[in-house]
Amino acid sequence: MQNAKDSYYMALRTRLTAINPERTILVRGAVRPGILVEEAEAPFSQLPNDVFVLRWLGLGVDVDLDSTMAAEECEIIYQTCGTQSFGGLDRGRSLSEMDEELVDMLTPFCTPKLNYSATPPAAMLTQVFWDEPGLGPIVIQRDRLTRSAKVMVYSYQEQGE
Amino acid sequence: MAANWFSAPAPVARRVQGFFGPVNRVAQSPVLFDPAEQGGFNLDAPPAPWISLGWIQGFTRKPGSKSAPVMTGIPAATLEQVRETLEAQLSVQFLSWTKLTMALATGSQHMNLLLPASGVVAAADGATAAPAVVVQTGSTAAFVALAATDAAKFVPGSIVAVDADYTGQTGYVGAPVSGAYVRQPLTDIDYIRRVTFNVALVSQVSSTGLTLAEPLLSAPATGAKLQAVTGFVDREGGSFYHEWSALFVMQGSQGERIFFHYPRLQSMVGAEETAIPLNGKNQAGQARVLLKGQFLALAVTDPLDGEHVVCYRSFLPAHNALV
Repeated sequence: MQNAKDSYYMALRTRLTAINPERTILVRGAVRPGILVEEAEAPFSQLPNDVFVLRWLGLGVDVDLDSTMAAEECEIIYQTCGTQSFGGLDRGRSLSEMDEELVDMLTPFCTPKLNYSATPPAAMLTQVFWDEPGLGPIVIQRDRLTRSAKVMVYSYQEQGE
Repeated sequence: MAANWFSAPAPVARRVQGFFGPVNRVAQSPVLFDPAEQGGFNLDAPPAPWISLGWIQGFTRKPGSKSAPVMTGIPAATLEQVRETLEAQLSVQFLSWTKLTMALATGSQHMNLLLPASGVVAAADGATAAPAVVVQTGSTAAFVALAATDAAKFVPGSIVAVDADYTGQTGYVGAPVSGAYVRQPLTDIDYIRRVTFNVALVSQVSSTGLTLAEPLLSAPATGAKLQAVTGFVDREGGSFYHEWSALFVMQGSQGERIFFHYPRLQSMVGAEETAIPLNGKNQAGQARVLLKGQFLALAVTDPLDGEHVVCYRSFLPAHNALV
């Protein structure tokens, strides 16, 4: 299942770079596309603004198939306070931009599965696929707007996984 | 050694995409789809003459063929089965209202509402139309060449119909889709442009002609004329049945494809719509109005072995999937 999670994250990351190359984050001294996997980073005291944070939640498996299917729920959390140049008055627009980027990142709803534990990553035989996102309501905390979207990500277990 | 195959479970598909092609009514020849040769086509750019109708929902197939046992012995026992009737029905809901989806979802002929001339008597399917303009040579499916004075009569955003004048002929009329069957000579010179499927939206106007937002089904033929269209109309009743070839594609999550190819489909019910509330919690609120199509599949003779069939179902497995 880790290969599916990695492939999903890398697909979104690659797509985000094409959609909005300006959305970046400085992590451990390196500038990276503005999308992170929470469980693969040092714990956050507070989630960073203006980036997408992936949080893996539930897991279900269907073993009554020729190939076991795993369904993993991914929550994508993003928040913004707007920009300093507009004194934060553009925070609604900033969140709308992220909404659109999220939907674009998730389209198309599939990506090839790769094994990222190999160097270079090794192509596998199946594809990872997912549903439309379920977008939650905006949560307002002072000048910060936060939204989360939940996506069910599916994959088939291949031999050797 | 790593395995280079996997056991693929049943396909998982999100939606169904529909493609239609016009049956040549005069020659009685449907549009054929060869899954071996064309199965990998780009779903956004189907091979000619298939026309994409985008995503559809409510795709339901209903086989209606009946078999009967051949009994023998005492007491009688089934020795063989024979197919008594061959029939299949199909229903879909179209997610858009276009000339083609409206025509598919109506049980009768579908007409263009031509821009009327000024001061004419009103008519339920469009009054006497303003005069057509002559299409010049050099026109293509995406660009209609016109004289400068004629081009000036149109603006971006106009809808236009392009086809020949009606000259009193009977039989099927309209190209490349037969839009109607004329049983007795009519007097309306614009009749073919009323029923033609060669319609498009104008995106740009220049002194040399009209650039179209999407191509016509076929480039204007010699002698074709062009008229502005204000909308579309169909009728409950009449005697004409449209006939189409249809192709439905389910793209699986692993790249596999399921095709349902109906060489001949005719609408079997009148026009019907389905209203679906946009907000499930507010049934009385805004609702999307979907065109509902219900079709009867007609038989063709398969030249492979002479069998009569109404539908071909094809499956192209995912790469590396066990079969």
